[in-house]
Amino acid sequence: MIELYHIWKQYQKPDWALKDITLNVNQGDFCFVTGPSGSGKTTLLKIIFRQIFPTHGQIIVDGRNILRISDHKIFSLRRTMGIVFQDFRLLFHKRVFDNVAVVLQVLGFSRKEVRRRVFNALRMVNLNHKMWEYPSHLSYGEQQRVAIARAVVNNPKIILADEPTGNLDTELAFEIMSLFTEINKKGATVIICTHDRELIRHFGKKIFFLYKGKLLREETI
Amino acid sequence: MIFQKIKYFQRETLNNLWQFRARNIFSVTIICLSFLIVGIFVSLSNNLQYTAQQLSKDMVVVFFLEKNMDESDRATIEQEIKKSSLVKGIKYISSDQAMQNFLNKFPELKEIVDNLNTNPFPTSFEVTLSEKDFSYTETQPFLNKMKEMKGIEDIQFNKDWVEKMQSLSRLARAVGFFLGGILVLASFFIVSNVIKLNVLARKDEIEILRLVGGTNTFIRVPFLAEGILLGALGGILSLLFLFIVIRLFPVYLGASLGILSELINFRYLSLSQSIAIISSGAVIGFFGSMSSLAKFLKT
Repeated sequence: MIELYHIWKQYQKPDWALKDITLNVNQGDFCFVTGPSGSGKTTLLKIIFRQIFPTHGQIIVDGRNILRISDHKIFSLRRTMGIVFQDFRLLFHKRVFDNVAVVLQVLGFSRKEVRRRVFNALRMVNLNHKMWEYPSHLSYGEQQRVAIARAVVNNPKIILADEPTGNLDTELAFEIMSLFTEINKKGATVIICTHDRELIRHFGKKIFFLYKGKLLREETI
Repeated sequence: MIFQKIKYFQRETLNNLWQFRARNIFSVTIICLSFLIVGIFVSLSNNLQYTAQQLSKDMVVVFFLEKNMDESDRATIEQEIKKSSLVKGIKYISSDQAMQNFLNKFPELKEIVDNLNTNPFPTSFEVTLSEKDFSYTETQPFLNKMKEMKGIEDIQFNKDWVEKMQSLSRLARAVGFFLGGILVLASFFIVSNVIKLNVLARKDEIEILRLVGGTNTFIRVPFLAEGILLGALGGILSLLFLFIVIRLFPVYLGASLGILSELINFRYLSLSQSIAIISSGAVIGFFGSMSSLAKFLKT
């Protein structure tokens, strides 16, 4: 599903953010990318959804070399992915409903269908009762769940999550991680970047260990 | 699907216009003032043009003929005058008729005329010129040519007023377009910057839309619609204010201008001029938005 070949990334000379990363994620995998801060986890995710380009290397996602997709066609790749950002990236001037609905509006779904899907996605993260609230009125954990609902509302093939449980208490983190396993069970490939060892120990099936931009090892449990 | 997207664009555009209303009111005001100035000059120029047209309608060239001219020479001159495309109508005035016309105009001078032994009035052709062709460069060669002709003694043509009026009208229009052009250009940059501020304020939203698979067109349309609406609204408001100026001007200032009030007067813009102002506003808004979005939609 996702194949990375000899990926190198340099933001500024002489440091390398990623060094010769080669990895393979199969369809339906539930993977963790872990490592200390600055090890290149976020960079790796950004490269997969092509927010940034690698300095060297090739990436195949769903059979397509994504580096060869032109800028004005990149939307077709991103529509197959659901992304949960470390900082949530919610629109604070829009209600929870609109935050989730934006993904479906991009695709031109009917208002009725948008309402149905958004409701289901919010029910899945147990936030359907807060659909008409503004994100600023929600707790940190609730905001995180809105971001997850937005990522899954379109039933994407791939879910990418960057530290989705960062700053959450263990109970809430487990709850959110259970959500990802649920989504994974429905067939989505999930890649989660985290440095939370407890979560990895509990949920990890395939784990990539990064250190200073290098892939140290890969474990399958 | 397209229908859903159109509904989405409509909702987004209206929401955005409302959300950033203070900034938007500012840009509408700037566009409105710029076009109001253009409109005032176009309106003044319309009036001068109209006055010039009225004057040129009555514009008659009189060809005085030599005395004792025979019929055939007169017919040749008539043929020659009729040949010109500038001529709309021609009328032969005999000496007797000329005297009669004179007496009709100045009945108090009848006694003097009666005391004369002969009729002093020459025969003439009164020629009306077609208004649309009227211009110095076109009429002058025709008149020069006719002056050379045998049998024509003199030509009387009071064209100065019409020409002055026409050049004033052209001047008013040129000044209008020059000043207006500068202001419209300035308003383009202001609108562009106001929309840039709106775009900056929604930078995150644009990025999120891109990351969830929004196409450039999908992101761009609400901003462009916003720009077009702001521009067109500015144009419409400028026409509204111009209408007020035209209505109020004669009430407050018209009387104090005295004889000049005929010249310094406003005339309503024609439908095509009004449409041109509104669509120019829309075009400014469109390109203002377009230029400010370009940077954000590169990757």
